[in-house]
Amino acid sequence: MDDLFTPPGDTWRPVSPALARMRHLVTVLAALVGLAALGVLTLLLALPAGVWVPLAVLVVGLAALAWVLAGRNARRWGYAERDEDLYVRHGLMFRTLVVVPYGRMQYVDVHAGPLEQLFRIASVHLHTASPGTSARIPGLPVDEAARLRDRLTSLGEAQAAGL
Amino acid sequence: MSEPERPYRRLSPLTPLVRGFILVVALLASSWDDVLGGRNIGPLGWLLLAMLVVGAVYGFTSWLRTKYWIEADELRVDTGVVSRQSRRIRVDRLQGIDISQPFVARLFGLAELKMDVAGGGAREGSLAFLPLREAEDLRAALLSRRDAVRAMAAGEPAGPPAGAAAGAPVTPPVPERTVATLDPGTLIVSLLLSPESFAFVVAALFFGTLFAVVGDLGGVAVVPVLIGFALTQLRRLSAYYGFTVSEVPAGLQVRRGLFERDAQTITLARVQGVVVSEPLLWRRFGWAKLDVALAGYAASSDADGRPSASTVMPVASRPLVIALARRLLAEAGSPDPDAVGLTPPPVRARWVAPVRRRFLSSGAGEGLVVSREGMLTRRTHVVPHARVQSLQLRQGPWQRRLGLADLQVDSPPGPVRVRARHRDAHEARAQLARENDIARRARAARSPGSGLTG
Repeated sequence: MDDLFTPPGDTWRPVSPALARMRHLVTVLAALVGLAALGVLTLLLALPAGVWVPLAVLVVGLAALAWVLAGRNARRWGYAERDEDLYVRHGLMFRTLVVVPYGRMQYVDVHAGPLEQLFRIASVHLHTASPGTSARIPGLPVDEAARLRDRLTSLGEAQAAGL
Repeated sequence: MSEPERPYRRLSPLTPLVRGFILVVALLASSWDDVLGGRNIGPLGWLLLAMLVVGAVYGFTSWLRTKYWIEADELRVDTGVVSRQSRRIRVDRLQGIDISQPFVARLFGLAELKMDVAGGGAREGSLAFLPLREAEDLRAALLSRRDAVRAMAAGEPAGPPAGAAAGAPVTPPVPERTVATLDPGTLIVSLLLSPESFAFVVAALFFGTLFAVVGDLGGVAVVPVLIGFALTQLRRLSAYYGFTVSEVPAGLQVRRGLFERDAQTITLARVQGVVVSEPLLWRRFGWAKLDVALAGYAASSDADGRPSASTVMPVASRPLVIALARRLLAEAGSPDPDAVGLTPPPVRARWVAPVRRRFLSSGAGEGLVVSREGMLTRRTHVVPHARVQSLQLRQGPWQRRLGLADLQVDSPPGPVRVRARHRDAHEARAQLARENDIARRARAARSPGSGLTG
């Protein structure tokens, strides 16, 4: 699509489609909670239809928008492992492309919250000496996350460049 | 390693007195009148006296129990009154040693030795208090021991690390050469012309107008502003007073302070970048300020009026500041930040940054990546290629319309932040790849595998 955020050489490896599914689930749950709260309010305060119908439409509309954006955002995540560095790109509206040389890596985090565990995905976070380095890859299948972590760690040790 | 064990040494016997000075002063202040008048010193006086006695006993015991000595590449410190502790600080892990003299300690000619240990986030190693002479000797001894240990550990690549290349490892009595000093006149004028003064004048004008229009309300409101301003500037004055930069084998040493003297060594191998700041009102005098980013020091800035530890020169003529900057960038081959060609963003960037665009510029050159920004205070951020951590390309929706993007160089926490903002998107992407390559080669050129360089 746009050549600005294309990977150098090979193609982006996408993250698991489970990431989009997880975010969709969260969206649906949030919408249901919103609708339930609206329902309770309507019953308690005896709101007229002129108030609650537009509000319900608003909640559903927002949820639909979030659904679409969550899917598109999840598809934007991509990473490319190269010989000496890792490229990560993400973001739809605000796009970011990060290059982290393996030698600069201080440590690697693998994180999987309860929801992520449900979808059997995990996120891998690379830390350098700079807190500004935003090299996080969410939504990797658990095996892939473990493989990536091991590879990054061994490459990081082999190419360590100090500070 | 059959080194003869050194006899241990103790801290200065005045240590408990310095530590408990506040208590002594409080006691004297509260019971002065009563004692002179021959009266009883009262319950508060007795309480303070009791605390003082307990404190004195504790302090004396603590002093008696605290011993330090150097043994087999370790500085060992035994402390503890109730439960004993023995701390070992590995000499080769020492990043830097600073000497600081809090006000009371300074009255007694004492100093505190603060050791910066790799891996330890806080400054866990501290020896307080020692006579100033002794502190300086111990510091020199530890540093030369560290260099010897590291040289030995490095093994056959006998070439000493680039930073210490100037024939350092042999001479324990550190030869010091003063590079720059700051005279009080310049400091005071620079503080009066600082951005805060600018803000203060604006505030005063605002409140003055208010005063003229509304009545006495404005006059009252200006007082706290004035006090705050004065306090901030006085704090800076006392912190930066007598600022001296001198050259030591490991890098530069900075001494400063009116009431509290602080000495800080900036190890060249830890320099991550520098910032040259030029406030608007200083430019007609050709003055600038120099800050450095060091690995391991937490982010600190003097935005809140607290003078920061990152400042290498609070104010000096620009050529001197540049010379100091080049000295700090010795590991990158002392390149001149001014020699790097800076280019402004394309004209269409005015749609995202109509005013700021004219103050933005950036570029990469021999050894360095540089960016400049700031209307009121022009800041030139400089990072050596070998110190680039990671690179980022960022693009917001507006920038995408205009075909612009930001290129950001990530550095460890500190004052330095190189950002090439609102560049042509394709140029920025090409520069990302180019800078990534250059940085990799620069890293490889420095001795690899040295782990925590220091």
